[in-house]
Amino acid sequence: MAEIEAVAHHLHELERRTIVIIREAKAQFKNMACLWSTGKDSTTAVWLCKKAFFGKIPFPVIHIDTGCKFPEIYEFRDKIARDWGFNLVIAENEEALKQGMSPEKGRLDCCTLLKTKALRNLLDKENYDALVLAIRRDEHGIRAKERYFSPRDQEFRWNYADQPAELWDLYVKPSEDFSHMRVHPILHWTELDVWEYVRLEKLPINPLYFAKDGKRYRSLGCMPCTVPIPSKAKTIDEIVEELKTSQIPERAGRSQDKEKAYMMQKLRSLGYM
Amino acid sequence: MQKEHGPTDLSAFNLERTVVLWAAFLTGKNMEANIPLKTQWEFKVPTQATFLSFFQTFATIDVPAYSHKKIHEEERRLLKAYFNDEATVEDFDALVWKIHEENRKEFLNSTGKFNLTMGYFNLADSIGHLSFGIQQKMRTVYEELDGIAGELKTSEDIILIVSDHGMKALGRYGDHTKNGFYSTNRKVGLGLPKITDFYNLMRSIENVA
Repeated sequence: MAEIEAVAHHLHELERRTIVIIREAKAQFKNMACLWSTGKDSTTAVWLCKKAFFGKIPFPVIHIDTGCKFPEIYEFRDKIARDWGFNLVIAENEEALKQGMSPEKGRLDCCTLLKTKALRNLLDKENYDALVLAIRRDEHGIRAKERYFSPRDQEFRWNYADQPAELWDLYVKPSEDFSHMRVHPILHWTELDVWEYVRLEKLPINPLYFAKDGKRYRSLGCMPCTVPIPSKAKTIDEIVEELKTSQIPERAGRSQDKEKAYMMQKLRSLGYM
Repeated sequence: MQKEHGPTDLSAFNLERTVVLWAAFLTGKNMEANIPLKTQWEFKVPTQATFLSFFQTFATIDVPAYSHKKIHEEERRLLKAYFNDEATVEDFDALVWKIHEENRKEFLNSTGKFNLTMGYFNLADSIGHLSFGIQQKMRTVYEELDGIAGELKTSEDIILIVSDHGMKALGRYGDHTKNGFYSTNRKVGLGLPKITDFYNLMRSIENVA
């Protein structure tokens, strides 16, 4: 019982801090938006945006549509947008889709055109000055260097060696030379925290996360570039238990990360590192 | 004008290690077992063990296992930093291009002044490791390398272009393969040469023309 209370208290603290960050961003930026992949993290972030403003999200929620996502993602997206009543904006690179861009033509080019360019086009059109993203520090090595408020320059670049300090919970808006701010309100959460919060708040979750025929998706991306992991977890309780003992990295099912790990190993074997 | 070209046979090697393959090219011997992985970049073959000794005057530019430059240590440091998420592909590419530009200049300045000029260009290999799957970028790299061949104005000289190994795309990255290649502006009748076979070709080069 004491353990359950401790978890609830921990989640409460995480939630409190996240809500402060979201409200701070809204106070600082005139035209912000929230990115939503429909995955567990961004659904949690959208839910927290809803909580932060007493049930009504006062900015648009953007879904980047690459045209090759799982049918369950589209179904889940439309249902939640209806049920939660926010302004859903779809970002897509129509030109690249018309020209038949797909991972077979190069995974990086595909991601750049269908995700980054799609978002960039939308930002150019709508002039958003801040974007809420549900990234977490424990997700990937590079994300451990991120801040809650992370400025991007005109080229969408992030200079991790030159970021504003975030002392005493003061999130500083850079004065000039940036295109928009990335706001990361759940940066301090872990994957386990997210699932425990989903359980506590009884949040709706994409069915792809639950095991079917001994496999489940642990991280959701586009269909051609995401593979399921072996798992027997068919409920949120079982996912929480699985995560407590799992040795498999969260993004093991994402092609790009696997390729990078393979390449690092291969270059080591060739004596480059 | 290319008169002969084709693949090379690297089947005798366990791994396509750059230093090992260039040592084999220079000496005609497979020294894979004698070149430790950890110290391979410091490994140097003596001139008398190489075909370079057949030429009265020669120049080598950045040749692995012979005159490989120190600056590649920095390149490998950046490569490691990239995999540790401490450097970007752009940081790495910038250094590789800088090294290449210097080597290009040195090579073109040396051609015609010696009996043999041997230049090593790591541009395709190094850029390819992190970007072989990015077609546009690799096209620029190969156009640049073609451009160097195009700069060679000496129609009487023998030109031999040899790669130490091949490369295949793995997502955005590039992985070494055993599909090396050679190309030359003379009929030399090499067939499917092993990389060690070029030693004898260089020995008999005066008879080739």
